[in-house]
Amino acid sequence: MKNASKPRFMWLCILLVLLFPLGALAMDSEECQGCHGDIDSVGEDLYINEAAYGHTAHSGMGCMACHEEVSDEHPDDGASISASSCSDCHEEVETEYMASAHAENATCGDCHNPHTALGLADVSGHDMNQQCSNCHENTDVVESHADWLPQADLHVAKLPCISCHTGSEDYVIILHIIQKESEAAFGDFEISKHQDLQALAGDKKVQSLVDLNSDNFISLAELRTFNRNPDYKSMRLQATMTPKEASHSVKTLDNRWDCSFCHTSGTENMQTSFLALPNDEGTFSRIEVEEGAVLHALTGTPDFYMMGTTRSASLNIIGLLIIIGGTLMPIGHGTLRFLTRKNRKH
Amino acid sequence: MAEKKMIYLQPTPVRIWHWLNALGIVTLCVTGAQIRFPEYVPLFGNYKNAILLHNTAGFVVAISFSIWFFYYAFVARSMGKIYVPTKDDLQSGILRQAKFYFLTYFLGWENPHHPSPEDKFNPLQKSAYLAIMFVLVPLVSLSGILLTNVDPLRGLIIMVGGLKILMGLHFLLACSLCAFLFTHIYLATLGHTPFAHFKPMWTGWEEELEEHHSPAAH
Repeated sequence: MKNASKPRFMWLCILLVLLFPLGALAMDSEECQGCHGDIDSVGEDLYINEAAYGHTAHSGMGCMACHEEVSDEHPDDGASISASSCSDCHEEVETEYMASAHAENATCGDCHNPHTALGLADVSGHDMNQQCSNCHENTDVVESHADWLPQADLHVAKLPCISCHTGSEDYVIILHIIQKESEAAFGDFEISKHQDLQALAGDKKVQSLVDLNSDNFISLAELRTFNRNPDYKSMRLQATMTPKEASHSVKTLDNRWDCSFCHTSGTENMQTSFLALPNDEGTFSRIEVEEGAVLHALTGTPDFYMMGTTRSASLNIIGLLIIIGGTLMPIGHGTLRFLTRKNRKH
Repeated sequence: MAEKKMIYLQPTPVRIWHWLNALGIVTLCVTGAQIRFPEYVPLFGNYKNAILLHNTAGFVVAISFSIWFFYYAFVARSMGKIYVPTKDDLQSGILRQAKFYFLTYFLGWENPHHPSPEDKFNPLQKSAYLAIMFVLVPLVSLSGILLTNVDPLRGLIIMVGGLKILMGLHFLLACSLCAFLFTHIYLATLGHTPFAHFKPMWTGWEEELEEHHSPAAH
């Protein structure tokens, strides 16, 4: 009897040892948020938005993972709070970033708030420029690019900076639903908010507006149905190119100086696209779209056209037939003219 | 017996306009081909050169079109007379001219239309130029203006049906203009000599042959 209870006690001890830190960690984070989740208690600088923080990869590790030396008496002990260095976890990113020209001008924290930082797939293409615009004024960016880039304003407005200033060789197409903000004929279009789309979807999920069978895959037929649905007249699908992977080298790859890197038909990545739908917390979720969505002339995305890239094969054939039609008169009439040339010798 | 008579058919501004247009439209066709098919038509070095040249040529043609329109409509005030087919043209002139081009020309008959500064174009030409100068060129220019200002004019582009429809329209209209070039150049060789119609567009003066079959003909 005595022998049987000994291993049971040992297992209990092991279980307690294993569970205690996890319990303490969860409790600590909750405790932190008790004050830091209340802007009135701690002020704007120390406030942590719980919802925004909850979407970061950091939230899964808890506050103590980075702020290790917080005592039970905090903040009454007056001790300063330690914070881990980003490089403790992101060593490769730091090495890549430190080799770039940006490293002289900005630290990690100047661009990324660790309490709100999101992954590449969680943000829209437009949000990707937020960090850049903290230092780079839009007018300056357009002006400096206009020296060599045709339609610089359009490129800057429609593309994330990191589509070109990246170490990622590959890119993908991200579609967004946009809608007219005012009833005016020339009203500006903005990316649709989750609430607006939810109102349209009713009690169904937002993705069902486009992904009709909710199989987490959008076929060309579903895309076409969305584009042609008169109920969604005020909404359109817009697209942009984003790098496939996040990179911190922030360099311009040599091939990005060559316009035909993007403006050439048949690039494999131009076939790969995702629809980014807004979530209720301000993040985005991506749904894969069938290959070739942006290449369809009339039924694909009506507002995404990249010269040389998304040209329609059907229109090419029609255009060629028109040009051939123009040569019929010289060829046909010219032949008869040659054969009857004697009739005009007078 | 035929006698040569010189007519001052093409005034200097018209000739300048014509050749400026010709250079512009040919440049637009070739650079346009490179812009749409960069991997097959690398004529002007890099893509950027083709775009800049295309935009410049487009701008020149659009301005040149506006000057042409302003000159004929408000200065010379002869636009209607020169370019709009008359009732007679529509009822019989087009048919008569078509009959000449497609039948009697091969039999060696004379062209039923004799150009004069007030009546430069035959009924078929009038109809063709009406379609080209009042539909094709304005539409291709307007679509080009929209395409070079996508961001500021997005509202207008969406009203047209979106960037893709606008691009398709611009491309097909441009192909039609290119098709017209072949026919236009060929028809210009149908004078009494192959270069008879080219010369007045360069010098202004056209040699008109006048047949002396009977005194009544004069």
